[in-house]
Amino acid sequence: MSSIDIAPEALPRRKGRKISARIWSEAFSSIEFRIGLAVFTVLVAAALLYPWLSEIDPTKMNIRAKLSPPVFMGEGWSWAHPLGTDQLGRDMLARSLVGLRYSLLIGIATTVLMLAVGAMIGLFSGYFGGRIDTVLMRLTDAQLSIPMIILAITILGVSRPTIPSIILVLGLAGWPVYARVMRSTVMSERKKEFVRGAMVLGANDWRIMFTLILPLVLPPIAFVAVLDIARMMIFESVLGFLGLGVQPPTPTFGNIIADGRKYLMNAWWIATMPGVFLVLTLTSINLMGAALERSRNKIYGGA
Amino acid sequence: MFIVRFLARRLLQGAVIVFLVSALIFTLLRVVPGDPVRLMAGGMAPEALIEQIAEDMGLRDPIYQQFGRYVAGVVQGDLGQSFVRPANGAAVGGASFDDSTRGERAEVWDLIAQTAPMTLQLALLAMAFALVIAVPIGVWGGLRPGRLPDRIALYLSSLFVSLPNFWLGIVLALLLSVHLELVPAIGYEGFAYTILPAFVLAIEIAPFIIRTLTVSVAGVMGQSFIDIAAVRGLTRNQIVFRHAIKNSSVPLLNLLGVQFSMLLGGVLVIEFIFDYPGLGLLTINAVMQRDFPLIQGIAIVTAAAFVLINIVVDLCATAIDPRLDY
Repeated sequence: MSSIDIAPEALPRRKGRKISARIWSEAFSSIEFRIGLAVFTVLVAAALLYPWLSEIDPTKMNIRAKLSPPVFMGEGWSWAHPLGTDQLGRDMLARSLVGLRYSLLIGIATTVLMLAVGAMIGLFSGYFGGRIDTVLMRLTDAQLSIPMIILAITILGVSRPTIPSIILVLGLAGWPVYARVMRSTVMSERKKEFVRGAMVLGANDWRIMFTLILPLVLPPIAFVAVLDIARMMIFESVLGFLGLGVQPPTPTFGNIIADGRKYLMNAWWIATMPGVFLVLTLTSINLMGAALERSRNKIYGGA
Repeated sequence: MFIVRFLARRLLQGAVIVFLVSALIFTLLRVVPGDPVRLMAGGMAPEALIEQIAEDMGLRDPIYQQFGRYVAGVVQGDLGQSFVRPANGAAVGGASFDDSTRGERAEVWDLIAQTAPMTLQLALLAMAFALVIAVPIGVWGGLRPGRLPDRIALYLSSLFVSLPNFWLGIVLALLLSVHLELVPAIGYEGFAYTILPAFVLAIEIAPFIIRTLTVSVAGVMGQSFIDIAAVRGLTRNQIVFRHAIKNSSVPLLNLLGVQFSMLLGGVLVIEFIFDYPGLGLLTINAVMQRDFPLIQGIAIVTAAAFVLINIVVDLCATAIDPRLDY
């Protein structure tokens, strides 16, 4: 990513259309983006509407209807619980969809935080260079060499996991990659003539950094960040699985699957069904992300 | 001469990184709430005893003093002793405070040295599986960019990257071990127990290899020396296998260096699911038991491994492509 040539003169000026608009339309023309978008929209709509419309409380227990299998699979299923119920008779579909809400919330918030921190550090490091650069980059290397998950479970394991603390920890553990990419692009932009021109005109460092360089280098990185939303959602569910994520009774993919693991032998659907939802959501996000990444490379590659 | 200078510089940088990592983890562990002495002594221990143990262990000193003492030990090769694990087996985290059976506490270094080979075995097998799965798909996709093989590579890698490792582990254990009884899954009693965890790990690594290979093979195939090779009368197979793949393997090596920490994160979760007695399971238990010296030791060892792997990766890359200069 560091070698992407984003020289402005290489871009064909097409009726002043913005680059990001072109990337969007390019991505939208690809079939995988449309599939991903369709699946994603359906899932998000379901997550937002179903628990509200069906008025099923995902934490309400109903012991009499416990361990009811999904429709058409095994004995005693009912339409009331399309994906079956868990060991306490809670509806799996409602639980999975509420889990999806939390997963998306944490995934998106974490990625935004990660991008913001990484972009700031990369911007300062690449713009000022010298000693600031050395210090910030050694810090980045150190952070990069601690596996993110060890850092996350260390912090969350010894403190109490809440939604803001999970977002904070994952976001602060994930910034180094962005900082590196940002630094290398800022360094190449910094030597360009428009920066020197702005300096001659008397613009100060802050003005150059935030009004000239940042708007130019951030979009190509932000497009790739879509892929990280999916990665962070997996991380969130891993944490939940280890018991370090959002705490029960709030359902999340991680803690539902961890729970269902105990009943795997006689009720396989508890552990597998939320996973199917998670895989569908992640695949749709990854398809969109991959399409966006490709069209970005195509547009910036000048081809 | 070049190689000596290179090694000296990189090892020095590596030492700085490992130092920073240990400082970071050390401070973090002392700043966050949660008293390890309370866990060591058990919930019933009187407050005065807790304070006394903490004093004896130097846990109430200022952080920089504790850190200084710790670093002095580390440079002499002493990573300290585990807070909760005795030298002879099971953890005693919840034991009562006056338990007389509690013996000598285990050395952190021994704990790591016992489990690291198991993890290495898992990681190497996973890497082999991942290459077997990913290289054909990636190379095939790279040879026909924009066409069907390329799309298949894209779809497969999007699907693989979307499979959460812990879920896949559970599903495969249910299908392959419980229903089909093909491979054993839980615990470790021989090499066969490595196969399923390694396969799950391989599925997690494969998409990154596929993506990198597709891009780099497509890039290499577009270069002029490939066109010239056909003029020189080489067959298609010779061009692809001797020229293209060799040149596309450099980004793959770099990927290995960068993604090392991801691999380790995967190992952690997978060892936890399959109850595989490696470094990952040790880490999770250490965190759950607030075993500070063990967490620090693991962080330092993994950071050092990260540094060394990246040095080896750069050396290999220079050996493959002498034009690269580090």
